[in-house]
Amino acid sequence: MAQTPSSEARAGLKLISPPALYAILMLAAPLATVLVYSVLTGERGRVSLPLTLENYYDLVTRPVYSALMFRSLTVSFFVTLATVLLAYPIAYFVSFHVAPSRKALWLFLITIPFWTSYIIRVALWRTILGYDGIFDSVVMGLGITDTQPNILSNGVLSIIITLAHAYAPFAVLPIFVSLEKVDRSLLEAGQDLGESRLMTFLRVTLPLSLPGVVAAVLIVFIPTVGDYVTPELIGGGKTPMIANLMEVAMLKQRDQALGSAIAVAAMTIVALISVFFVLWNKRYLGGRK
Amino acid sequence: MKQGTGLGVYAVIYLVFLYAPILILPVFALNDSQVVAFPLKGFTTRWFGEMWADANLRSALLRSLVIAFSTATIATILGLFAARASVRYRFPGKPAAMGLIMLPMVLPDIVVAMALLIVLLSLSVPLSMLTIIMGHVLLCMPFAVAILTSAFQSLDRSLEEAALDLGESRAATFRLIILPLVMPGIIASFLICFTISIDEFVLANFLGSGKPVLSVYIFGQFRFPAKVPSMLALGTLLVLFSIILLGIAEYFRRRGVAKAGGKDSGGFL
Amino acid sequence: MTFSADRPTMIEFKDVHKYYGDYHALRGINGTIKAGEFFSLLGPSGCGKTTLLRTIAGFEDISSGVVMIDGKDMAGVPANVRPTNMVFQSYAIFPHMSVAENVGFGLRRDPRSKAEKAQAVAEALEMVGLKGYGNRAAHALSGGQRQRVALARALILKPKVLLLDEPLSALDKKMREHMQVELIKLQRQVGITFILVTHDQEEALVMSDRIAVMFEGEIAQLADPETLYRRPATRKVADFIGTMNFIPAEILSESGDKVEVEAKGLGRATLDISQAPARTGETPVVGLRPETLTLLYDGQPAAERETEGVIDEVIYFGDMTYYDVYLGGTDVEVRLSMRNVPGRPVLEVGAKVRVAWSPQALVLFR
Repeated sequence: MAQTPSSEARAGLKLISPPALYAILMLAAPLATVLVYSVLTGERGRVSLPLTLENYYDLVTRPVYSALMFRSLTVSFFVTLATVLLAYPIAYFVSFHVAPSRKALWLFLITIPFWTSYIIRVALWRTILGYDGIFDSVVMGLGITDTQPNILSNGVLSIIITLAHAYAPFAVLPIFVSLEKVDRSLLEAGQDLGESRLMTFLRVTLPLSLPGVVAAVLIVFIPTVGDYVTPELIGGGKTPMIANLMEVAMLKQRDQALGSAIAVAAMTIVALISVFFVLWNKRYLGGRK
Repeated sequence: MKQGTGLGVYAVIYLVFLYAPILILPVFALNDSQVVAFPLKGFTTRWFGEMWADANLRSALLRSLVIAFSTATIATILGLFAARASVRYRFPGKPAAMGLIMLPMVLPDIVVAMALLIVLLSLSVPLSMLTIIMGHVLLCMPFAVAILTSAFQSLDRSLEEAALDLGESRAATFRLIILPLVMPGIIASFLICFTISIDEFVLANFLGSGKPVLSVYIFGQFRFPAKVPSMLALGTLLVLFSIILLGIAEYFRRRGVAKAGGKDSGGFL
Repeated sequence: MTFSADRPTMIEFKDVHKYYGDYHALRGINGTIKAGEFFSLLGPSGCGKTTLLRTIAGFEDISSGVVMIDGKDMAGVPANVRPTNMVFQSYAIFPHMSVAENVGFGLRRDPRSKAEKAQAVAEALEMVGLKGYGNRAAHALSGGQRQRVALARALILKPKVLLLDEPLSALDKKMREHMQVELIKLQRQVGITFILVTHDQEEALVMSDRIAVMFEGEIAQLADPETLYRRPATRKVADFIGTMNFIPAEILSESGDKVEVEAKGLGRATLDISQAPARTGETPVVGLRPETLTLLYDGQPAAERETEGVIDEVIYFGDMTYYDVYLGGTDVEVRLSMRNVPGRPVLEVGAKVRVAWSPQALVLFR
């Protein structure tokens, strides 16, 4: 419109400043504070100088931290694996086998559960999987087993099931979007050149949809590592993950420096894994071209 | 298509898995037994009565509604600024600003909660409903921006120019042309933010004072087996409420796309 | 053409430049557009024609130079107070309003009574052939109807200048040709300046009093359609407007108002200086439009000059046939067009022919 680049830039900056300032004050500044706190000394709700790497040293040397971090990563890994593997066929189905006019309805159906109370969904899984719960009563009622399977007693497994359910729509949508972008004439070309359906899928569709798979992996993996509610409710606090440890350090031990260090370390590890995963995928994709 | 039917069956099973917990909710909310297990014992509505008789729950609900309403309003307004800036203008630092605004979408809630908590404590800000709203706005803003961005994107820029060309000022153009056409997106954004805020637990738990909001209250009640059925009753109502709100939001979002002459390309995310 | 010469100036450009960052979109535009003129900005996409139109409307600031409308410098004058109105390429019909609300949009601040405004809207709709469409929803209109609404909406404000940004490009061929005629009639009826942006040379030739041909941010030639067609100023303009044969030539002498050239395959010819536009420094060629060349039948004498040739390609078009012919035993090939009339069979590839041409039809580019 009636703007030289500089006046356009000014108008844009003016518009973006309220939300950006909000994000800076409420997010960037607190994150920066966490970063600073993580190299201070903390006790009884206070932090003090001098700068120290003591907190990180603790994280590395005391096995409980690495054990919980490892558990968090393992849970996230399996949740990600399960959601993405289960989601791909759904995304494929909606993209390739559902009439265009009904795609939006399917996506809506898939996303609805996500918008219903997270706490209630997690708590429900507890009643479903618990001792003499719904799952046990169904399985025993059908005569499949005489003793209660009581899946809930296996904390990690219950957490994985619950999280995989909670994050399912997050995996479907990005894969669906990337499948929608696949040029349908390429598939016809593939079959025209004598490829079987399966080979066409493996050689054309799958590689082209990998960006969506990568996005799905990241969208599920990153937040699940830091999930707080599920271990708390499902494991009854007996199967804590890194987020629960963070809470304990911050609020129970009132060591904000250590809590900050856990947060920074966890985010760094997640970020490194994500970057590594993306790079590895880029190389793989690049090699195929 | 053979391959299609196989996938179709899988799709239905998948949906059943997705909906199983939600479908179980009303079944046991209406089941005349404190034990949540099969076989069913009989029909009752007493859990709903018990739930509604709980004064603590009612005050928690009221707090949640106030927080959700404030959050949805503020987040949608801030989202309008960000979405408009992002669709319409080029300016230095745009990727960084947008990235920061969208960051809470991928950041674990616990990190956001703890970081905010540290700052609030160090500044001696008392925890209250206000601090929860502050956190929820941060969390909802990315969703508001995403919805409103697509609303602005489906707006033909020459509509604005046409209104200016026909003699209207920039302010009048915004009021007469842009706002009505983006209104469905604004409503959708408001409803989505409202839903997120009502459901949110982590920030509400750590940034709140001793007086719990609804999600925190529910979380606490699930520890007592005797309270579970009435919580299921509450859950049933909440799910119903969410689905109605989402249905309305989806209706407005689609109407917005259709109004602007665009092509519908899917859901909220 | 005398039509434009005696009219007052409506728009004047003085050394207008426009930069987008490093990109130089308008490179020193000069020229005037007369009152009541149907003026076209013609050029390939990316030549700056739409940018220039938008500087008139006030949607683009210029980096330097002056744009005057009706004697007033438009610097700092925003779009909403300029005496111009625009028909957008997408028509920009407000989708949430009825046809009448769209057309009456610009009258919101008009002090006239409601009834008078409704009357004005009805008249505007009638003028564009949409009588009785006022209550229709805007989004239910066809492409042609949208365009008419856009025209009515712009013209109801009685602007001094109507700007049209590729208004016909979204219509199919039949509708486009129909609307071309309608637009010409409309312009004569309302008598205001129309400025049309188009990439379609035929459209520009059919509709305009004068045309500015633009390449890469510059006006290559500003002239009436006939001059543009018969005396293009550069080889590039000649190539963009219609078809032209280019034949390598040598300049033998230049004295006073005569230029003598030797064109390959045609031979010597003496041209009037008016046939040789200003030098651009390119290798000399003479240009000839296909329809100025004629095939001679046995025994038919040439009116002026003739040369031998061999048919290399025959392209049959129904009413016309195009022939590609090698001239006089050279590798110079020209395209010529012959009307298909009874008694004149279409010739075949390889046939030896005589080609008649006229030195007055030549244009020299050098």
